[in-house]
Amino acid sequence: MSNILRRIEIPIFLTIVFTLIQVVPYYVYIQPLDDAASYIQRWILIVLALATFVGVISILQVHGKNVAKRSKGWYFSVIVLVFTIVMALVGLPLAEVGLGDKNPVYLFLFNYMLQPLSGTMYSIIAFFIASAAFRAFRARNIEASIVLVSGLLMLISNAPLFTVFWPPFKTIGTWIFAVPNMATNRAITIGAALGLIALAVRTLMGIERGYLRGGGAEQ
Amino acid sequence: MAVTTVLGIFIQGRVFGLVCLLVIMGATAYFIRQAQAGKVPTLRRLAGVDAIDEAIGRAVEMGKPIICSHGIATLRDATTGPQTIAGLSVLSYVARRAAEVGARLIVPVRQTEVWPVAADVVETAYKLAGKGSEYKVEDIQFLSSDQFGYSSNYMGLLMREKPGANIMIGAYWAESMQLAETGSRVGAMQISGTAQTSQIPFFLVATDYCLIGEEVYSAGAYLSKDPQLIASLAGQDVGRIIATIIVVLGGLLTTVGSKLILDIMAW
Repeated sequence: MSNILRRIEIPIFLTIVFTLIQVVPYYVYIQPLDDAASYIQRWILIVLALATFVGVISILQVHGKNVAKRSKGWYFSVIVLVFTIVMALVGLPLAEVGLGDKNPVYLFLFNYMLQPLSGTMYSIIAFFIASAAFRAFRARNIEASIVLVSGLLMLISNAPLFTVFWPPFKTIGTWIFAVPNMATNRAITIGAALGLIALAVRTLMGIERGYLRGGGAEQ
Repeated sequence: MAVTTVLGIFIQGRVFGLVCLLVIMGATAYFIRQAQAGKVPTLRRLAGVDAIDEAIGRAVEMGKPIICSHGIATLRDATTGPQTIAGLSVLSYVARRAAEVGARLIVPVRQTEVWPVAADVVETAYKLAGKGSEYKVEDIQFLSSDQFGYSSNYMGLLMREKPGANIMIGAYWAESMQLAETGSRVGAMQISGTAQTSQIPFFLVATDYCLIGEEVYSAGAYLSKDPQLIASLAGQDVGRIIATIIVVLGGLLTTVGSKLILDIMAW
């Protein structure tokens, strides 16, 4: 029985059936199929809720082992473990006993630790962009020179210091953004959409197996 | 909500899309049948995909691990989910090669629902290479479901492990620049790929090789060298021809004041 359940045809069959249930109602109006698609969306929520535990288990495996072995920087793992456990406990959906997303400890951790840290990480992207731009914006060949000139013009067009002296900088920047940039963007989007459709066809035909265990090879 | 239909069954506004989809699917199926009969189209070389073996070899020579991630998207989203599938296909290949050459493979994961899939892909690859005992479940690391929690964890991983190769193929958002730049700082050979148009420039400037848009979806087929998968890529060309005709015709007709193409697309 267990050998039958491990057959590669089973996940392929499930993928095909559930993909069709979601795709067909987008184009064709058949009420029972529409209801089935909505119903399956609820299954996804249940699977996702259960999958949360997988994340916690993985964190415990990785950081628990770090602490147990006293690996380099093990004390950081202690911090991760403590906050994972505290956040999970105080965030339990048990409002009757004061837990959940209104719990003051949960709110404190979320508002004064998680959010500021997240915001900080987001804001430092500017510095990463600056260092990458410093390396990339070099006129090594024609293509790189086009990138360099376009990038400089875009920078200038967004800097009031320059546009106030010569307003056409703004027009040039707007043109670069709206014409060559948009044309390239659309070409990539159309190409990506076609690639996506081909991937979907391969998946529906059961020949795209890379996402299955061992690339779909039988053990 | 009342749904307006065409011929009583097809949802209005989506019929043209359905026709295009069916034509492309038909073309893809046709080329796959052709491949089964022995006619396999020639595939252009993808430098980024060819470099994966080089990156793995480099990591082994340096005695450093390989980090391979499949993006931060779920498997569910209609546009970004397939990028995760494509990233997992690449992961499958990288895991097989890493197991064969004895390199340590670390897989950072953001989505809990993708973790079991990634772990299964890697574990089976090790077993198929006859090295099941070398597979370490703790190397398939769930970092954080928070975007920047994942990003900071991934950067920490790069700084601590100093990998020989950092392969990032899938859907990425604002963290792409942070990851690629940190990978560059630690001297990893980097191969990236995404269909997120806003992130492609970041990957292009900060990594050694970058797969752009559709190349991401083709990578799995390219690596597998499976004639049927390669043939399916030829079906995309039919879609490309249709897209080109619509763009040219639409441009010309709209210029002369006709809304024919727009009306057809709204059917």
